[in-house]
Amino acid sequence: MTDTTDIPPMKPAAQSDAQSNAWWLIAPGVVWMALFLVVPILMIVYVSFWTQTTFAIEPTLTLKSWQTFFGSDTYIGSLWTTVRIWLIVLAATFVIGYPTALFVGLFIKNKTLSTVLLVICVIPFWTSFLIRVLAWRPMLGKEGAVNILLMKAHIISQPIEVLLFTELSVIIGMTQIYVVFMVGPIAFMLGRIDPAIIEAARDLGAGFARIFWKIIFPLSLPGVVVGAIFVSVMVLGEFATSAALSGRKVNLLGNIIVTQVGSLKWALASVVGVILTIIMGLVIAGFLRIVDLKREL
Amino acid sequence: MTGQSSAFQLQGVSKHYGSVAALQDISLAIEGSEYISLLGPSGSGKTTLLRVIAGFEQPDSGRVIFDGRDITQLPAHQRGIGFVFQNFALFPHLSVLDNVAFGLVNAATPPQQPQIDQRCHDIIALVGLSGLEGRSVHQISGGQKQRVALARTLVMAPKLVLLDEPLGALDANLRQRMRAELRAIRASLGVTFLHVTGSETEALAMGDRAVVLDAGRIAQFARPEEIYAAPATPNVAHFLNRFNMFDGVLKGDTFTGALGKIKVTGVKPSRRAAYGIRYDRTRVQPAGTPVSGPSLQATYVASEYLGSSVMNFFAAADGQLIEVEHHISLGAPQTYVPKTDYTLHWNPADAIVFG
Repeated sequence: MTDTTDIPPMKPAAQSDAQSNAWWLIAPGVVWMALFLVVPILMIVYVSFWTQTTFAIEPTLTLKSWQTFFGSDTYIGSLWTTVRIWLIVLAATFVIGYPTALFVGLFIKNKTLSTVLLVICVIPFWTSFLIRVLAWRPMLGKEGAVNILLMKAHIISQPIEVLLFTELSVIIGMTQIYVVFMVGPIAFMLGRIDPAIIEAARDLGAGFARIFWKIIFPLSLPGVVVGAIFVSVMVLGEFATSAALSGRKVNLLGNIIVTQVGSLKWALASVVGVILTIIMGLVIAGFLRIVDLKREL
Repeated sequence: MTGQSSAFQLQGVSKHYGSVAALQDISLAIEGSEYISLLGPSGSGKTTLLRVIAGFEQPDSGRVIFDGRDITQLPAHQRGIGFVFQNFALFPHLSVLDNVAFGLVNAATPPQQPQIDQRCHDIIALVGLSGLEGRSVHQISGGQKQRVALARTLVMAPKLVLLDEPLGALDANLRQRMRAELRAIRASLGVTFLHVTGSETEALAMGDRAVVLDAGRIAQFARPEEIYAAPATPNVAHFLNRFNMFDGVLKGDTFTGALGKIKVTGVKPSRRAAYGIRYDRTRVQPAGTPVSGPSLQATYVASEYLGSSVMNFFAAADGQLIEVEHHISLGAPQTYVPKTDYTLHWNPADAIVFG
């Protein structure tokens, strides 16, 4: 039983002309992206096979830089550190961000208030990235705010030293900086859920846990995926937070690129760049398999 | 699945939003299984009343009694009352079958899977959706969504089904067809449907009885033909969109208003004095024609052809729009000259008078 009648599609000549002309609209974007994204990426791949000497680099193709990377425990170690920190920060931003988004996007019925709360989440971005990262030092240090408060409250008697210049401080810093990118998309998806749908589920006898797992969470999943992609791309490419908060003890792939570029080792920097790009591509492709964003958004 | 008829009662239900009274002292009793329409202009409190019955809102005072027990404090899902939402509120990420099965699968004590399958299969067949079970709810038409929403509620075997403007989101053609189908589905299940609508034609066409709400109070609860023939208040008559209503003052048996002084009989007690005459009981003569009984001078404005009848619009001296309906079955419609005066008159026995 169909309630719609099929009308044969009509496409007057003028309309198809307009449609072919419409392609010109994306020309500037295509040119820009080709010049400044596609060509540089191809260039990085190319340079990663160049021959690097102490003071110069020449376009003689060689696998030497790739062998250096995969033959060094330091570099392989930083690859795993990057993956480990990415997974931990991703999990932390989700665990902290989802309940926040649930509160802002679903439980706050007043749209104005929920917008205000989202803006509050963004307020830290009104200062520069470096200040946001460095501000953690007086917070987490041996005589930092956290330790002082905990000691004043007699919860601890000795300052916790593991708080600063460790992997933990990097994770704390990154989670704080990137959690908002998780909250935003999830809150947006939750805010779009028609309250009548939840009422309907309740009327049909489903309890809160059931409604959450069967209705709310699946409907917010596109937001989770978008948030996870944002956080992943930014964390995988990170170098500043680990440089500022780890005391150079945590070396991410991003830090290696910075160091190598600093000492004009373009070939090895390119190798790391290619590896990082491949990892990001795989991560994004993986997330996009979870949800069909085209359909959901 | 055929329910025994269950008595349903509202006792003095009131509900305020801030200082605004949405429902005032609503009392209503429904026995047996019927199709009840709940009619009212927007803002009359009809959706609020439905939500109070469903359990989505708590009344400030009064009691809701269903099936012999007081359910005023009971949460929505324990009431055994089904609710069909205005915009269907289907679960967008689930298939037709999963939407219908949702209530059974997610019940506190779900039935056995074969039983769930059987009940879903039966109800999907009843609403005419067989073959579409696997479709996503994005891939079906508006009318089919309406059926899914209905099936999702009916599969829980409620004894009372509340429908909040169920046809509002459908186009006119489809609405007409769903009217007959809703009535047929209700009759085959033998449960009570309480159907909220803002359309007087829909309410009176569908309901075995209709409740007319006006400003948070029940103005009339009767069979549609009674409501048509004898609206209980001037507002009900006005809302039916079938009467030219004139305000005025009633003294003894004399009604004084825009119509002049008219002797009236059979006055219905009301807080407001008003005189009403049906659109299709008003006759038109050229100005100056001597007529017996009440009459009114008015200027012809325009006509609207409605298929089975023609609606002629006249403006009275004070600017009030007067509508005169001419059924085509009674002969070819007269044509009138715009901006020309005519005499409108009627049999005083056809008038209804409040005062």
